[in-house]
Amino acid sequence: MFEFLFKYPPVVFAKGRWVLLGTLPVWVLGASAAVLAGVCGYLLWRRRGGRLGFRSAAIGALQSALLALLLLLLWQPAISVSSLKTQQNVVAVVVDDSRSMAVADGGRSRRDQALELLESRAFQDLGSRFQVRLYRLGARAERLESPSKLTAALPATHLAEGLKQVAAEAATLPIGALVLLSDGSDNAGGIDAEATAELRRSRIPIHTVGFGRERPQRDVELLDVEIPARSLADSRLPAQISFQQFGLAGKQAKLVVRESGKALAQETVTLKPDGVVETRQIIFNAGIAGAKNVQVTIEPIEGEESARNNSLTRVVNVEAAKPRILYIEGEPKWEFKFIRRAVEEDRSLALATLLRTTQNKLYRQGTANAKELEDGFPAKAGELFGFQGVILGGVEASYFTAAQQELIKQFVDRRGGGVLFLGGRTGLAEGGYANSVLADLLPVTLPAKKLTFFRDPATAELTPAGRESIICRLEENLDRNVERWKKLPYLADYQESGTPKPGAVVLADGVVRGKGRFPLLSIQNYGAGRTALVATAGTWRWQMQQPLEDKTHEMFWQQLLRWLVADTRGRVAATTPRLMLYDEGRIPIHAKVKDANYLPAADATVEAHILGPEGVSAAVKLEPDPLEAGDYSAQWSADKPGSYVVEVVAKRGSDEAGRDVFTFRREDGLAEDFHTSQNRELLARLAGETGGRYYKPEEFERLAREISYSEAGISVRETKELWNMPAAFLLILMLRGGEWLLRRKWGVV
Amino acid sequence: MGNRLLVVAGLTIVFMLGALYGFQRRGGRSPFSEDDSRLLTPSDAGEKTEWAFARLRYPSSRGSGRGGYWGFRSSWATDYPKADRQFVQGVRRLTRLHTRSVEQVVDLESDEIFNWPWIYAVEVGQWGLTDAQCKKLREYLLRGGFLMVDDFHGTREWSVFMVSMSRVFPDRPVVEMENSDAIFHVLYDLDQRFQVPGIGPLSGGTTYEQDGVEPRWRGIYDDKGRIMVAICHNMDVGDAWEWADHPRYPERYASLAYRIGVNYIIYSMTH
Repeated sequence: MFEFLFKYPPVVFAKGRWVLLGTLPVWVLGASAAVLAGVCGYLLWRRRGGRLGFRSAAIGALQSALLALLLLLLWQPAISVSSLKTQQNVVAVVVDDSRSMAVADGGRSRRDQALELLESRAFQDLGSRFQVRLYRLGARAERLESPSKLTAALPATHLAEGLKQVAAEAATLPIGALVLLSDGSDNAGGIDAEATAELRRSRIPIHTVGFGRERPQRDVELLDVEIPARSLADSRLPAQISFQQFGLAGKQAKLVVRESGKALAQETVTLKPDGVVETRQIIFNAGIAGAKNVQVTIEPIEGEESARNNSLTRVVNVEAAKPRILYIEGEPKWEFKFIRRAVEEDRSLALATLLRTTQNKLYRQGTANAKELEDGFPAKAGELFGFQGVILGGVEASYFTAAQQELIKQFVDRRGGGVLFLGGRTGLAEGGYANSVLADLLPVTLPAKKLTFFRDPATAELTPAGRESIICRLEENLDRNVERWKKLPYLADYQESGTPKPGAVVLADGVVRGKGRFPLLSIQNYGAGRTALVATAGTWRWQMQQPLEDKTHEMFWQQLLRWLVADTRGRVAATTPRLMLYDEGRIPIHAKVKDANYLPAADATVEAHILGPEGVSAAVKLEPDPLEAGDYSAQWSADKPGSYVVEVVAKRGSDEAGRDVFTFRREDGLAEDFHTSQNRELLARLAGETGGRYYKPEEFERLAREISYSEAGISVRETKELWNMPAAFLLILMLRGGEWLLRRKWGVV
Repeated sequence: MGNRLLVVAGLTIVFMLGALYGFQRRGGRSPFSEDDSRLLTPSDAGEKTEWAFARLRYPSSRGSGRGGYWGFRSSWATDYPKADRQFVQGVRRLTRLHTRSVEQVVDLESDEIFNWPWIYAVEVGQWGLTDAQCKKLREYLLRGGFLMVDDFHGTREWSVFMVSMSRVFPDRPVVEMENSDAIFHVLYDLDQRFQVPGIGPLSGGTTYEQDGVEPRWRGIYDDKGRIMVAICHNMDVGDAWEWADHPRYPERYASLAYRIGVNYIIYSMTH
């Protein structure tokens, strides 16, 4: 219909430029239209005896519009559009040949639907006008002689990579347009802005034809699983699981976390409405040290279309390290004893303590040897930086020298350690911390007053952030956890802690009857490390007031202290940006190397030792980054699917500076099982941003017609006259008819 | 009338025998006047502190009637409250521990005891805990509480003590604490320990009572090797605290008693 009324398909109007072929300038057209409108108005005004009402104005407007339209047609409107020259251009047809194209939507596979198009008359017509080059697309694009060789069996789809490859070939070919037949399923996570810009620069319009249903009928799919990549042994880890379902709303589904086939944790959920992304957190125990493959599964539901998208695997490196924490306490107190006891039950933490028993005596416990901490709190970086965490109990800020205060600050900022501040009679505001260098480390701004410590009851209440935090998780179930916190015995004392700083997170408030609330447990990141505040010395009542079997006190302190030190790295910190590789093996290896004072070491020799599946073993030298001292990097390729362990060792001269380990995993063919519905949004966006259009398979005939209008390849600019399009004549009739009808209705105006 | 006379006469005899026994047991203490009830309450008695001297009130064979629980001068209250208050003055002076000036009496009838993780029980050679009390004391100690027992002597009183203690911990032995144990070094090094006598035997020219000639430093440990019960057998540390201010009580005994007490407190707050 559009083409009947306007003579040309919409794409001509979308891509063309409007022009007037008349020889007189455009301003003459405007002026003439204005004069004629004035004349119409004047004649009507005279006929109405010097009055001009609404009806006269309406009639005048119709007459003026008609005259303006006639004038416009006299100026010969036309549209100028580029179109490909037939027989001189190449059209690249790229067919997605990955496994997801084998999915049968409505009885026929997507591959079969694509084949039908490639054998259609429209495609043959395309071939008669252009030279058609056929490509199959998987992880890369490759030429295909015949459509019959399409298998829909390639294990991966990298749309951006494949299209860029075809576009690069076009540099030497007159490619006029690119047609992509795909379901839009991409294993590389879509097409990023950089890739889109690169495709746009090639000036080739990409037309996309989308296959497959845009949403499944009955299926539940795991969208993502987030698990910390590193952990201490026996840690409780959160698995953040996102999933989505269609056609199974209200059904029960079981989420299971497994390691080596053994179920570590599970939870039953009721599925939400179609398309709603749901996120659940399941807590599981990391177990003993080693590289772990943690598999998260939604148990298949009866009638589900595909169970292959119900499982995801993540790698976790459970470290054998036993971080050490130095706890200095200013006076004997029960909190000190019970924190020590809680840590004693944790095989992955070690606590060295200094207790000021008298004014001039320190009682040492948990030291590595008789000499350690002999002179009290460390005054040198070499000694303090040997610890991963520090707890400052009720000890006055002035107890530390200015150099020690600066050292503690650098312990967090530069070394990346964790510092925990505890409340107490001589701690926080009472201890003069507000006016010390250490105030910067606190996650709160302390009140500008003394008398903030009270030996009165206060209760702990989780904040929304605290409900989600692993530090405060005493029960695996979120709701039960909140209830358990509500039932905890009151704290023996509390300390008003001021207001949280921007960037700090308050996990629990202290609530005092009749006095309101204050930040009880706050955390924040600071420099390379992190700090926390517990504004009480009275959690020991959680131990003494609850049955022996209750492990609240132990769990809370173990989890808080693990958080404090778990991310405190050694002098060598090795990383990679992607721990899971899908269908490709390229992996960058980065390492930061520090000297004994945790300053960047630019003179190190750094090597990565890699162990992989089927006896894979490799050594890779990391090269220093010329722009960033202490940074080293290398690229390696993991050719075989499976789990890999990378140990990075740094040496300075003949001395070892340190070593670090991470694990990663390569999975092949798995990504094709996910996101199998047609990603129309991606295909439409790709087409829109490159000057093409998105088509449904049944619109392919139109595509074959419209593909000519392109500025790529070898094209000519055509001028298509519009004065004789039926729509113009129809408009003239409507304007004239409208006037006639109004005159009939209103009588002679 | 005759019957009434007989009853009165009987009660009088019982009272006199009891008074005689009490006098003899304390060895006669004529040089010292023990009238703790006249102690004034310190002005800061209401201060809220980290630690207070918590004295265990328990049922015993001594005192008023069955169990002798509430009776005046029942065995739990021996030296009370002067020993407690005099000792905490030393704790205040010798440590950084925030200490209350007056004692706290606790019992095993309610859960209040769980607010006081250090308790002191005196003359446990006369205590007689019920099953419920044994159970609560066991729970208290396993959760992290600490019990110091003192002022009981000889074989007979040890037996009485163990009748209750073996019901508290049927499965844990009482062992001699080694000199190297942290409890003897946590603040003061107490390698050279000796018998701390009560005021009674000291007046009679000895340092022991009954057949308790040798002082015994014993303890009951938890599964992690931490002392839960520190047992001062054949000595009277409480009396040394009580009479530390008396010119005729030897300083060496009082001094050791203070150091033992301070060490036991600091140990209980660090282990």
